[in-house]
Amino acid sequence: MSEHQAERPLGGPIFTPTLFVLLAIIFSGAALVCYRLLFGLGAVSAMNDGYAWGIWKPLNVVTFTGIGAGAYAVGLLTYVFNRWQYHSLVRSAIVVGAMAYTLGGTSVLIDLGRWWNLWVTFYPPLYNLNSVLLEVAVCVMTYTAVLWVELTPPILEQASRWKYEPVRRVAKWGLPWVRKALPFVISVALLLPTMHQSSLGGLYMITPTKLHALWYTPWLSGLFLMSCVTMGFGAVVIVENLTSLNYRRRMDQRLLGRMAPVPAMLVLSFIAIRLIDIAVQGKLPYIWTFDFYSKLFLVEMALFLTPALLMLLRSVRKNRGGLFISGVLLVLAGTVYRFDTYLIAYKPTTGWVYFPSLGELLFSACLASTGIAVYIVMIKVFPILSGVPSRKKPTIVAQA
Amino acid sequence: MNLSRREWFRGLSAAGIAAVAAPAAHAREAKTVHPEDVGMLYDSTRCVGCRACTTRCKEVNGLPLDVVKTDGVAYNAPEDLSASNKSILKLYKNGETEAFVKRQCMHCADPACVSVCMAGALHKTQNGIVAYNKNVCVGCRYCQIACAFDVPKFTWNEPLPLIVKCEMCRHRPEGPACCEACPRGAMTTGTMAGLTEEAHRRIGNDPDKYDPKIYGEHDGGGLHVLYLTSKAVSFENLGLPDVPEQPIPQTSETVQHTLYKGFVAPAALFGLFTFAQYFNERRRQAAEDAQRENKS
Repeated sequence: MSEHQAERPLGGPIFTPTLFVLLAIIFSGAALVCYRLLFGLGAVSAMNDGYAWGIWKPLNVVTFTGIGAGAYAVGLLTYVFNRWQYHSLVRSAIVVGAMAYTLGGTSVLIDLGRWWNLWVTFYPPLYNLNSVLLEVAVCVMTYTAVLWVELTPPILEQASRWKYEPVRRVAKWGLPWVRKALPFVISVALLLPTMHQSSLGGLYMITPTKLHALWYTPWLSGLFLMSCVTMGFGAVVIVENLTSLNYRRRMDQRLLGRMAPVPAMLVLSFIAIRLIDIAVQGKLPYIWTFDFYSKLFLVEMALFLTPALLMLLRSVRKNRGGLFISGVLLVLAGTVYRFDTYLIAYKPTTGWVYFPSLGELLFSACLASTGIAVYIVMIKVFPILSGVPSRKKPTIVAQA
Repeated sequence: MNLSRREWFRGLSAAGIAAVAAPAAHAREAKTVHPEDVGMLYDSTRCVGCRACTTRCKEVNGLPLDVVKTDGVAYNAPEDLSASNKSILKLYKNGETEAFVKRQCMHCADPACVSVCMAGALHKTQNGIVAYNKNVCVGCRYCQIACAFDVPKFTWNEPLPLIVKCEMCRHRPEGPACCEACPRGAMTTGTMAGLTEEAHRRIGNDPDKYDPKIYGEHDGGGLHVLYLTSKAVSFENLGLPDVPEQPIPQTSETVQHTLYKGFVAPAALFGLFTFAQYFNERRRQAAEDAQRENKS
């Protein structure tokens, strides 16, 4: 294996100014959570009986885990479709996934009115198997644990080089076992997102009278599953670019470029399935009424179509900026689709309005900051990123 | 075993499709109104808007008053169903035409809130009431998203919040307080069979006055609260939403139970992923061995 392919820790100082800024946001978010626990959800959010789910569901849960689905997307490509060359992207994607899911779960916990009753989701005799949300809850909690289990190899690898002998011994003893179990862990890690990412769309199959006709379909599950994969790919492109811009590592543009047609084709199939479904249900006229919802739908379609077409162009795939922007658009398209389904195209019966409160935005920012902070610390301490030069070699640093 | 890449992909997609499509889709059966179940009948043509029903509702359910002060005088003036109003009376006014409508939980025969509730906090009692058990409610509020009538309400400003909705006074042996309080017989209770018959009788006796439709007889797959209105005021005017006759939860339950039938599809996917990894690993090893041989 050539030197820049194996994953290595980035090293470098942990407590940087960036981290302090992130910590400040995290602590103000934590204060907000305390306030919410004392005074109720209404005290910090603009949610109401009409819009019982605010931005925390579509943003913190469905969009975050969509971004975290990079682990699922790249995992499928590498392990199932046998594209081993993408293995160098896997670990970073899993760290993003682990954080995204942990934070999504945290958000749900804070959002639950009667959180102390969460035990019911661990107690099968009470299970209502008709509930899509139950599937989501159990599956997401399990998958979050699985993602962290998937991260034991890099953690143990690093621990086996640690300065304390007992730690080294435990790590060296554990590593072969973990490696042996890993294929089964990976299978679970690929199965669970298939289940809950589709269910995240399936949640809104219960709202035929409230969700606008252009978004309501019995195929919501399939559409959410497809779009989480495209979001995941987009997120991988973004994270690869950002880490190589900010840290001393080389990004493999050719590798990302070669991967790009996969999400592009997926997006095109997504659009095709959606349009065919709308046509079959006889809802095509809704598209050209040019009212608010029809415009929203067209914007959404354009957001999906643009990155797909860009990523099919060889010149864009070779161009770092071009591919990066396509990645951003992929994530944005999936995000808008999620917000439309959960909030914007969702209409309760009478006169309710909802606009997120500052508290809701702050809590989302707090979660995002936590994710970024932990990711940065993880890539510095553990062998997560590929393309990091070996520190044993003297590096030539240009003197300013 | 030596498969070309193309064959491999073909096999993979075929297995995937088989895994998902294998359990045939059988629409989940609709749950229907049982003739002996309890229900309520609201006759808009009889209601004069005295609000004895909603006042009594607050009393027997221990709900706080919604005090509004006008010219220094305090009134109980609730605006809509809320955590402090399990029942509300609304007025439709268009010129000379006026009609009242009483809103509360519709107690659907096949309720969406019950279908989505994770641990059965919202559940159907033996006699058809949609009831709430706070002890297993996590406060996720999916019931509020699911309800086509926007009935369940939440105590947003409580640290220990609750879902609040009409439970047809199931704690009272006498039955629903609103029906008892009504001086005009506009709100009555009884068995579903009896109420449906009575509704048809009223329409038959005065076909010029009544809209021939009984709202709730088939709407939403059948409701336990039936509505009658005059020809002058439509159900839409009264603010009763246009819901399909197919029960709301049918689609989602059919899709979910088809995908997860016997857990066959997830198990098949797990097997497929594990097999793919094993197979790919062997191919990778073989390729590496061949490379090594070539070098030596």
